[in-house]
Amino acid sequence: MQRNVVVVGALFVALGLGVFAWKTRSLGMPIIPSGEGPWRVELEITLRGEGQRGSVRAPLPSSGPGQSVFDERTASEGLLFTIRTEGGQRIGVWSGRLSGVVRVVHGFRVQTNAVRVPLPLQAPQEPPREILASYTAATTQLPVHAAEIQAEIARQPLADPRDPVARVRTLFTLVAEEIGGVASGSDDAVLTLAAREGSPLGRTLLFTTLLRAAGIPARVVQGLSLRGSTAVQPTQWTEAWIDERWVPLSPVDGFFAERPEGLVALHTGEATAITATGSEAIGWRYHALRESLRQEELAAMMVPPNPLLARLSLYRLPVPTQRALRAVLLLPLGALLVAFFRNGVGVQTFGTFMPVLVAFALREASLGYGLLMVALIVLLAILLRLLLESLHLLLVPRLAVLLCVVVLAIASLALMGSFGGSELYQAVLFPMVILTMFVERFTLVMAEEGLRQALGRAAWTTLVATAVYPIFHSTLAEHLMFGFPELTFVVIGVLVWMGGYTGYRLLDLLRFRAFARPPENPA
Amino acid sequence: MRSIIRALRREGVLGINRRNIGYTLRWNARRFYPIVDDKLTTKERCQGAGIPVPALLAVARHHFEIPRLLREIATLDAFVLKPSHGAMGNGILVVRARDGARVERAGGRWIGESDLRYHAASIISGLYALGGQIDDAFVEERILVHPALEDVATDGLPDLRVIVYRGVPVMSMTRLPTRRSGGRANLHQGAVGAGVDLGDGRFTHAVQENQPVTRHPDTDHPLIGHTMPHFERALEIAVAATDLTGLGYVGADVVVDAARGPLVLELNARPGLAIQLANMAGLLPRLHAVDERLRPDLALAERIALGREIAKTAHGAIG
Repeated sequence: MQRNVVVVGALFVALGLGVFAWKTRSLGMPIIPSGEGPWRVELEITLRGEGQRGSVRAPLPSSGPGQSVFDERTASEGLLFTIRTEGGQRIGVWSGRLSGVVRVVHGFRVQTNAVRVPLPLQAPQEPPREILASYTAATTQLPVHAAEIQAEIARQPLADPRDPVARVRTLFTLVAEEIGGVASGSDDAVLTLAAREGSPLGRTLLFTTLLRAAGIPARVVQGLSLRGSTAVQPTQWTEAWIDERWVPLSPVDGFFAERPEGLVALHTGEATAITATGSEAIGWRYHALRESLRQEELAAMMVPPNPLLARLSLYRLPVPTQRALRAVLLLPLGALLVAFFRNGVGVQTFGTFMPVLVAFALREASLGYGLLMVALIVLLAILLRLLLESLHLLLVPRLAVLLCVVVLAIASLALMGSFGGSELYQAVLFPMVILTMFVERFTLVMAEEGLRQALGRAAWTTLVATAVYPIFHSTLAEHLMFGFPELTFVVIGVLVWMGGYTGYRLLDLLRFRAFARPPENPA
Repeated sequence: MRSIIRALRREGVLGINRRNIGYTLRWNARRFYPIVDDKLTTKERCQGAGIPVPALLAVARHHFEIPRLLREIATLDAFVLKPSHGAMGNGILVVRARDGARVERAGGRWIGESDLRYHAASIISGLYALGGQIDDAFVEERILVHPALEDVATDGLPDLRVIVYRGVPVMSMTRLPTRRSGGRANLHQGAVGAGVDLGDGRFTHAVQENQPVTRHPDTDHPLIGHTMPHFERALEIAVAATDLTGLGYVGADVVVDAARGPLVLELNARPGLAIQLANMAGLLPRLHAVDERLRPDLALAERIALGREIAKTAHGAIG
């Protein structure tokens, strides 16, 4: 290796490691993520207006049993933001002139934990009069007085009104076991009862209605269900007033007098409470991202004591940007591995970074489905060559035909998946562009150098992609590269060293191994 | 694995990384690549300098020129249709006989004019080109295997590959087609590679698929001691051709025609490393010797003499 290569590589490595060491040792930023930390949730509201004044209201979560909310931040383009409290519920209000498309983003971090609510063993306290009045009343969505509801209550072997726990249990079992859950079912309580099946919302409304009809104060809680590392879904559950407190219940998600981890309560009431005035159209969605750091570690990463670093922290970016950056910052590591496979081992792959792209694509789908897709399109490419060879088509139209067939194959695979009930439709997530590039290279090599070469390279490409795949799924790698982007300099340094490596490749050794045999006797 | 590395170091075997960093990247400036990558340009340059090359019979640079190309070769009994930017012998169609509109390929298959047109169109579309860019198709005379090589080559044309470093020939080998290689002179497709002594053109050692052989696998004719015909002249035109390129590390491919003698077929800016196996000798000692002993302004004959001297003295540890 040349001296200047060694020096330049060392400079990069030293720069990266130096900043890394300073941040971890002097500023106490954690190197190893401690596991599952709080969630970062963002509500994104998009409004469209024509210059008139208007406002948008959205319920905001508060800390309470099962959830602690902190680090709230709001970003709105020129709108005035205020928080009001109405009947114990926090409500964010953004108001101002709405012209064109206006985006409002409200983010917060939330730590959720499971809570179990003890139920009284003795006869509980009677509910206060005002609670009884407002939470057993009929509403549009909770038609307590509907004939079907009353008939169902009459039919149930309900316990004595002085034992509300037993009454709740009976109704809970009814909804959990006799009312089926279908995603496409009705959202209406009465219709759900009549059909004996309904949507999650329909079942929750039915359960709440039945509780009210049985004289137990009950309400619907609107919230978010957070799962995995980025999945967020609006959800609802029921709370019933038993013995001086609200008790969470959900025959839909199967919890009784407890709240599992991963639920965030936003507000109570039967309908989602994001509303706007003066706006022509409104849309909203929640984004979420689970931090791999505990709260105090996160604080060190987000607000380092150094003011410059505090400005540079990537943790301050909006959630969708963060999510993209977390993935993008892992690309250098993938490239490093590819460089090793190509210059250290000596294998041939399609294109230089095709394996990284394939691994990146697998990140969205899963390894199994991704490999299945690759195998499938390789098979299609071979079959199509046999079929089209005698037509003597030009290259680009031939590749385009191949693309059409691949699209059809993906569609039919998704369809098969939905019939078979398996998750084959995930394969659709495997980005088309990367598949097309892969199949193009495969076809070219097949035409130029033969099927054996093409299959060999496809196999190596897939193999290297599989080797890169764990990097893209590693929380540790993600935390390190995202929390310490300066490590990219270390990667650059190592790449410089690799680029100056003049030693033998593994496959050189294999190829020239004849030199290691004792020389034959000259004839 | 350790022992292999030690043996390779002892013999001075050049690996791919070292070739790329120390030789092709260092001595072959990118701007000179078109001269060797485009076979038509190579041919033109050589002709300009009086270096013999296979005669150019027709060229088609665009699809609309294909009918003219087909007309121009309509009376030829034997010819070769090639891509100008092809690599590793891909896309080369050899015709050896004609019966009206139909022609017979080297393998014995008869094809029609539409097949020729399709092949020419594929070439122009870039199917066989490095990097898949638009390419030129051209037709050149078919080389007839020299009688002295008929016993050691089956179904195809053997060639002589000379590695020329900074104008000095350092190592050479001949690539002998076999039935397994399908008549192609490609080592990784199963052709035999035989090291050729720079001094006298004799075959010193031979390998097929990285394994040593002593006889041609199809004809069973002994290889070791066989001599390359017109080796002196072949070496001379190989070095002379590389002088035209501005490149410092080149592989020159020369073929020996039965009637016309040695002709420069093409040049390669990234010559392969298998030549070391064919010679059972590493390139590094010879390359280092050239760096040490090359004086500026050496004439062609003196550089060839230097190369021969180095090949003799800076040999690896064979024998």
